[in-house]
Amino acid sequence: MQIIDTSGEQCPAPLIATKRALKEALAGDSFQVITDNQTSFSNISRFLSDNNTEFAYETTNGIWTLTITKGNTGILNTNPEKYCTTEIPHFSHGDFVIAFTSDKMGEGDEELGHLLIGNFINAVKDLDILPDKIVFYNKGVTLGSENSPVIDQLKEIEKMGVTLLLCATCVKYYSLEEKIKIGTFSNMFEITQALAGASHVLRP
Amino acid sequence: MVESGGCSAKISPRQLEEFLKYLPLPEDPNILVDIDTHDDAGVYRVNDELALVFTTDFFPPVCSDPYEFGQIAAANSISDVYAMGGTPVIALNIMMFPSSKLPMEAYAEILKGGSDIAAEAGLRIIGGHTIDDYPPKYGLAVIGYIHPGKIIKNSGARPGDVLIITKPLGTGVILAAQRLKIASADDADQAKNLMKMLNKSGSEIMNKFKIIGATDITGFGLAGHALKMAKASNVSMTFNLSGIPLIGSTYKLVDEGCIPGASFRNLDFVENDTCFTADLNYNLKMIAMDAQTSGGLLMCVRPEISDQVISELQKAGLSHSAIIGKVTGKKDKYLYLQE
Repeated sequence: MQIIDTSGEQCPAPLIATKRALKEALAGDSFQVITDNQTSFSNISRFLSDNNTEFAYETTNGIWTLTITKGNTGILNTNPEKYCTTEIPHFSHGDFVIAFTSDKMGEGDEELGHLLIGNFINAVKDLDILPDKIVFYNKGVTLGSENSPVIDQLKEIEKMGVTLLLCATCVKYYSLEEKIKIGTFSNMFEITQALAGASHVLRP
Repeated sequence: MVESGGCSAKISPRQLEEFLKYLPLPEDPNILVDIDTHDDAGVYRVNDELALVFTTDFFPPVCSDPYEFGQIAAANSISDVYAMGGTPVIALNIMMFPSSKLPMEAYAEILKGGSDIAAEAGLRIIGGHTIDDYPPKYGLAVIGYIHPGKIIKNSGARPGDVLIITKPLGTGVILAAQRLKIASADDADQAKNLMKMLNKSGSEIMNKFKIIGATDITGFGLAGHALKMAKASNVSMTFNLSGIPLIGSTYKLVDEGCIPGASFRNLDFVENDTCFTADLNYNLKMIAMDAQTSGGLLMCVRPEISDQVISELQKAGLSHSAIIGKVTGKKDKYLYLQE
């Protein structure tokens, strides 16, 4: 395995060496980068994570050794979509689940119901403890479409690290395959598992 | 002379914000601007016609020539006064210099560089203070005059404004490349000339067009300073990064991995308040984080006069001036960076 020793070199020289090696490596190749500089270590790690590149590291006596594996995703281009949804670590998550089964909250006047569900989703965003997962089924999946009035709030909740599961059958039924902007399409087994595994389920 | 930092030698903006929270802000009705709004300088009202803009900035060498270092450090120190629309009047030298390690000629050259730039700004240096220390550091504490009703603030961005930048970005990248001896002479010269250039004409043009929101781009990078403005004004800003003017081969250097440490610190500072669009190129993103030394102005301009403003800026020698984004009402995030 190729070893690039950048000891004694200051930022950004170690990063330049890392990037050069990544460009030259073939997919699946591994190499090591050594640095004796904490700042360079953290900047290289940040750069690798930002660019979805796998690495492991060891540290002994102020020497960091990163073992980097070039991925299959081709050139060093970011996948910023993923980056944008990177979990922000300081949010704490409970083990409860929210189930959206409709695009409105409660029974009664339709307009009021839409307004309430917007307010509810905003309130979820501000909870001290966020849900573990949010599932969407039946008319609930329409909340995740690009025209939904709450799409930005749901994207934000997803960025906070909440898993959003949308019933794929329902998405197909409402012909929203191209329009859903959040979460992952899921099946009834996974949704049932999520509901059954939750400490409690909120159904607005 | 050893080169080290420029504005990238600043401490992390996030840490700074954290510590400043615990300092009590003095209360006085004559304090018109303080750190509360993340502004570039403090402003103190003397009477209804006059307020003082007060600011300081100093840093370790950014180039090997002491005279040029003095010029750059001085231009950078004065910049905050210009960013607020003020006229610099008096200043003190702030210097740390290792008298046992470097020839005293270098000391004199640094001061000479500072004094020449001060003269260009119409600023009188009336004193100063030197401490024996390594590496050297130099800058000014500057006082400027301003009319209390005509202060250009971070909080002056309004939805609908376009964002105009007056100098190309890339000094952080070029300086890092220069330290590693991978910068071309042309790029290094261009960066040095830009860093020595005062924001004086930009400031005069802002006053002429009655612009009320602006900042200068220094150590926190384009994104960091824009974020401070967006927060102070409670608006969001969208930047089109592919349209940003860059110094020489800045893009190529970043693509090779020449990303200074300060860029990562600035990224940490802005990322929770920023949305990066899905197709955003990583190099452009990191250029928006690049710490500038003596960078240009970022001004908020009503769209109907933006063409006139750009043309005046270009006439005044700021040939790279360009519209690079716009101000919108407050959205989920303060900053939206797109390609």
